[in-house]
This record gives sequence, C-alpha cells and structure tokens, in this order.
Amino acid sequence: MTRVKVKTFSVIRDVLGADVVEIAVSDPATVSEVFNALLRKYGEPFREKIWDPETGEMAPFLMRLNDEMISSKYDMNKQIKNGDEIAVIFPVGGG
Amino acid sequence: MAKGFKYGGYIGQILRVNLNNKGISKEPLREDWARDFVGGTGLGARIFYEEVGPKIDPLGPENKLMIMTGPANGTMIPSASRTAVCAKSPYTHSFFHSIFGGYLGPEIKFAGYDGIIFEGKASRPVYVWIDDDRVEIRDAEHLWGKNPFEAQEIIRKEIGDEEIHIATIGVAGEEGAPYAMILCDIRAAGRGGMGSVMGSKNLKAIAVRGTGGVTVPNLLRVYNTALRLNEFVATIPAVKGLSDYGTPRNVAAMNEAGILPTRNWQTEVFKGMKNITGEAMREKVVKGDRACFACSINCTKYSVVPSGPYKSVINGADYETIYGFGSICEVDNIEALCKADELCDHYGIDLISTSLSIAWAMECYEKGIFTKKDTDGIDLRFGNADGMLKMIEKIGKREGLGALLAKGTRDASKIVGRDTIRFAIQNKGLEWPGHTCRPFPAAAVGYATGPRGGSHHDIRPTAEKSGLVDRKVIEGKGALAAEINHWLILCDSMLLCHLGEPIWGPIKISQNTIEALNAVTGWNLNYEQARKIAEREWNMIRCFSAREGFTREDDQLPIRFMEEPIPEGPMKGSYIPKETLERLKNDYYSYRGWDLKTGNPTKEKLIELGLEFAIEDIC
Repeated sequence: MTRVKVKTFSVIRDVLGADVVEIAVSDPATVSEVFNALLRKYGEPFREKIWDPETGEMAPFLMRLNDEMISSKYDMNKQIKNGDEIAVIFPVGGG
Repeated sequence: MAKGFKYGGYIGQILRVNLNNKGISKEPLREDWARDFVGGTGLGARIFYEEVGPKIDPLGPENKLMIMTGPANGTMIPSASRTAVCAKSPYTHSFFHSIFGGYLGPEIKFAGYDGIIFEGKASRPVYVWIDDDRVEIRDAEHLWGKNPFEAQEIIRKEIGDEEIHIATIGVAGEEGAPYAMILCDIRAAGRGGMGSVMGSKNLKAIAVRGTGGVTVPNLLRVYNTALRLNEFVATIPAVKGLSDYGTPRNVAAMNEAGILPTRNWQTEVFKGMKNITGEAMREKVVKGDRACFACSINCTKYSVVPSGPYKSVINGADYETIYGFGSICEVDNIEALCKADELCDHYGIDLISTSLSIAWAMECYEKGIFTKKDTDGIDLRFGNADGMLKMIEKIGKREGLGALLAKGTRDASKIVGRDTIRFAIQNKGLEWPGHTCRPFPAAAVGYATGPRGGSHHDIRPTAEKSGLVDRKVIEGKGALAAEINHWLILCDSMLLCHLGEPIWGPIKISQNTIEALNAVTGWNLNYEQARKIAEREWNMIRCFSAREGFTREDDQLPIRFMEEPIPEGPMKGSYIPKETLERLKNDYYSYRGWDLKTGNPTKEKLIELGLEFAIEDIC
C-alpha cells in the first residue's frame, strides 16, 4: 500500500473534515487511484463535489503533486509514491 | 413582445431622458438591432456608436449614460439578473460597460423599457424617478453630498415605497473622481468611472418601480429551460462553494496553486492567507446570504463587524475585496477588509482601482519614493491595515496623497515618474482584478486586447486555471481567447452572470446559452449564428476603440507581468515576455481577421459582420 496526504479546500475540505487527510492506495498507485480511494471512503458527498453529473466525468481542476502542477484532465495516470502530497486546487473561477 | 415587439423577452421600447431640457421620450426599439446585437452591452455598443461621435469629453454633456437590459432579464432563466451601464469611460477613454447584479435590470423591464439613455447635463442636481409609464426628473439638491446608502434611504422615504430599486452615486461621482462607481441597491457598477459620468450629468440617482412583466413566446419552453439549468446550477461541481463561501471560496486554493496576487503583484503567494479565506470570513463575520434576481447560487454574503475600530456592515466581502485590500496590500485581518469595503461604498469608489492604487503607493513607500512627508504622516507599509484605511479615506476625499491616488496608477505614475510605471498594475489605464495571467497565455492575450484593459470580464482564465486546456501551450491561445470573449459578450448582452461560467462557457458559447436565448426570444439560432452575433458585438466595440485612436500598441500587459517572473511557489518562473505577447497578439488578430499592423478589424471583416457603416471611420 502507498500512503499519500491529500490537501483540500472549501467545500471539498468540508466533506473530508480536515485540511489534510491521509489515505492508503493499492499498488501500483496512481493519482486516479487516490481519487477512487477517497470516493470509497467518503462516498456520495465526495462524488458530488468532484464528478460532473451531466458528463459523469471528473470536473477539470489543477493539483499540486509535491512541487509539480498537474491536472485532472491529463495526469490521472501519473504514478505516486509513499509520502507524496496532493493538493486539490478546486474550486477555481473568479469574482 | 409587449407593445407589439416582434421578438420575445423584449419590451420594445427605449426610454430617453434629456437632462439639458428635461425632455422625456419613449422610442421604439429597432428590431434589426435587437436581432443583430441582442441587448445589454452589444445593443448598447451599437446605439452608442451611432449616437456618440469620436473623441468626445467623457465628462462632457455629449457623453451618454446608458442603462441597458437584455432579453433574459426579468425571466426565470437563472442568473439573468445583471444590468449593463454603458458610456465612454473617463478612466480608460474607451467604450465601457460596467455590469452589476441585483434587481435593477429586471425592474426596468417591468417598468416597460429595454434600456434608458441619459443625455446632456442637468443644470442642478436631479434624480430620475421611473414609475412604470410615469417618469419624473426630481430635484436632488438635498441628496448631493450624501453617501449612496443615505441617498437611497431618503429616496425610498420620499417615494414611500420600500420595494423600489435605486442606482446612486457617492461624493466621488459628484466630483468627477476618475474611478467613481454607481451603487445599485447593494451591488456596484464599480469599474471604469461610470459614477463620474453620472455625476457629470448632475444625476444623483435613478429610482425604478415596475409592475409589468416580460412576455415570452412559449412559457413552458422557458420554464423547462430554467428548470434544467437550475438543476445544473445545483449540481455542477465548479459552482459548489459559491453558496457556502461566496466568491472568496477559492482564496486558499489559489494560494496553494501560487496564483494569489500578493504585495502589489511582487509575488503570488500570501503567507497570511489563512486569515482571509472564504472559510475565515464565514466563521468570523458572515451573518447571512443574499441572492440576485432569479439566481439560486446566492453568492452574496452579508457581513457584520459589530464593534471595534473596524466596525462595519457590508454586502460581501467579495473575492476582489479579499484580493485588493487583503493579499495585494498584505493585510490579513478580515475585519479590516470589511471596513475597507464599507469605506469604498461610502465614498462611491471602485474598490479594485482604489486598492491597487494604494498598493502602488505602498510599493513607492517601500522603495523610498514616498516618505511620511508625502503621506501626511501615514505609515504606508505593506500589511498596515490602519494606514491602508486612512488612505482610502484620503482617496475618497481627494485629500493630500489621496488626490494623486484617485487618478489611478497610470496617471499617478506619470506624475511621480521615477520608473514607477513599472509597478503600476494596469493596462489601458484600468487596474487589474485578482486573476493572474502570468502562467496563462490565453488570459494574457485576452487581457491585453480587451477593450477595457484590466478586466476579468473580457477574458476568463478559468479554462487554463482549471486544467481544462493545457496552460503551457502557446499555439491556439489566440483562438481560445477570442471564443472566451464571445461567450462573455453574449452573456453581457443577455445579462447573464459570468459566475455561471460552467453553464454559459467556459471555453466557447455553450448550447445552454443558445438554448436560453432561443427560449426567451423565440429565435432558433444554431451555434454558428449565435457565435456570429457575439463576434459582431466584439468587433463593434473594437471599432469604437479604433475610432478613438487605439491601435495594436495599446494592447499591452502591465510591465511587471512581461518582465518579472513569479518568484516563488508552484508557478515560479511564469511570466509573459514581450515577444510572447506579440506572438499571441498575432495569433489573436489572425484568428479574428484583424489587421496585424493596426489591430483593427479589416474592411472584409466588417462587411462579413454587417458593420459596413464603420469602414470609413477605421479602415
């Protein structure tokens, strides 16, 4: 198992209940698997915040994987390792 | 379709108020202009181009102030609450549209008008009371000098109707301060000095009561469209959070991404972020939520600081307050930010231009260009909340250094010299909102070419900021920026709120937008036809700029964004060098069919869009 820290904000943080949560992911671990693990743990309230109900796809957003910026559209198959931190940069948009 | 108008969603009538001679006329709305320019900003631009000649004094009687509605206003289409104020800006000297939410636009429709054109100048202060068909120009001597909320309260008592909706200016607008705003009930048409244009006409307020309605060709179609879109609003991930935390919902996430503008844009990471997030605001000051007409998002927060030096009551704070007075001035006290917001409303000044002007002065102070002798003894260090608040008061009163800062960063830096233009965060004279372009090429060219300059409503960085498109790629970003322009201008013509961008955009005009437009008007536009309308509108505004003498050379970014990479954080190293911007501009102009040398629409493009009348002006 690979253990990673997930940092979230605003309404997603409200669902996870803390600024940073740690989650275990089966190997070989990818960013996609992190979200699947979060979905298993936090269920429908988490799905509602991340998955677009019309398309059934994950909403587009950026993430910080350690010091690298990645995106939910292009980088979900990226490998992760034990101790990595993913910050979910969501929601975005302006005033 | 009231009064026999051909299309649904329209009243079919424009109200014209001549303040020179107190003339009031009601004119039929041109059907061809409604079809070709829709309403709001698009229609406003067409009328303005027709009626107002080039190079006029924006604060002279020949400028016109237009309050425009759109066909969706007053219907149940979600977020169709907006109202467009159009005029030549005394701040940017371009055609300007400043758009606000709330209830005024729908109320104007209910009173029986698609728009109101104010022209000339009253000999004494007046306000205009529109009570359905009855229109009165009333004395406003007793309101002159009052802050916007005081003026609104007096007018409500005079008229004896708590339900009326009122647009007012503050003292700054009365005195022609360059970035004075109009306060419409609790919402602001903040940008571009529209309040100064209103004040230059001796027009203190516009009060409206309407008891009519808006007719649509097929009510069931509009109902079903609205129902579907409201369900979408309730479930779409990117809109979630606005209801709970308002527009500051993204402060923490933006800081994490290294795109929270800080210290007059010297960096984009703010160490004091945690104290000024939407979450902190909700915990410390928010007492309730408010929504605009027909909107289920209710992003407006009602906040109270009950006592102490920052005692205040505001509708907000919105993200731009948190950015402008918070991270940009490095003030991490949410109560102080509420006070700053309240002071801007009190004087009737745009909080983005105010805060960026203060941040520019803070950087001058930091660099030793200003000392306490220049600031009347105020310690104008970054992070000093009390110094910042004192300076807002000075700007509001145009007193001491405040008189200089009230001119805005472009003009102030010209006066001060010493290369201070390098950290004046503006283009075309308009200070920037809190949405960076340094890592985002489409946003960069969108800001640079936008008619208003530093406006995040001519371009939205959301597609690049969300990862929906690859932010690192340069190729094709001119086209992306142009298509973002198009969905924005079509929303501004229908008067839909840009915060619904996942519904109305976010990378091009969406089918939802077209469906909403077709439902209320009875049209049957396809994507290409809707896009052509939007393209025509965008080119119309560009024609006005070209006629004023704007050229490719005016399509610039703030110098800092072209020369100083973000120094830290995940976006470290990002910036838009001048040569990259020029490449992006070529891409953008080519995609638009504009002349690469001048940046103006070509004769062929104008003919294609039915704008032949502008050929002799700009080609």
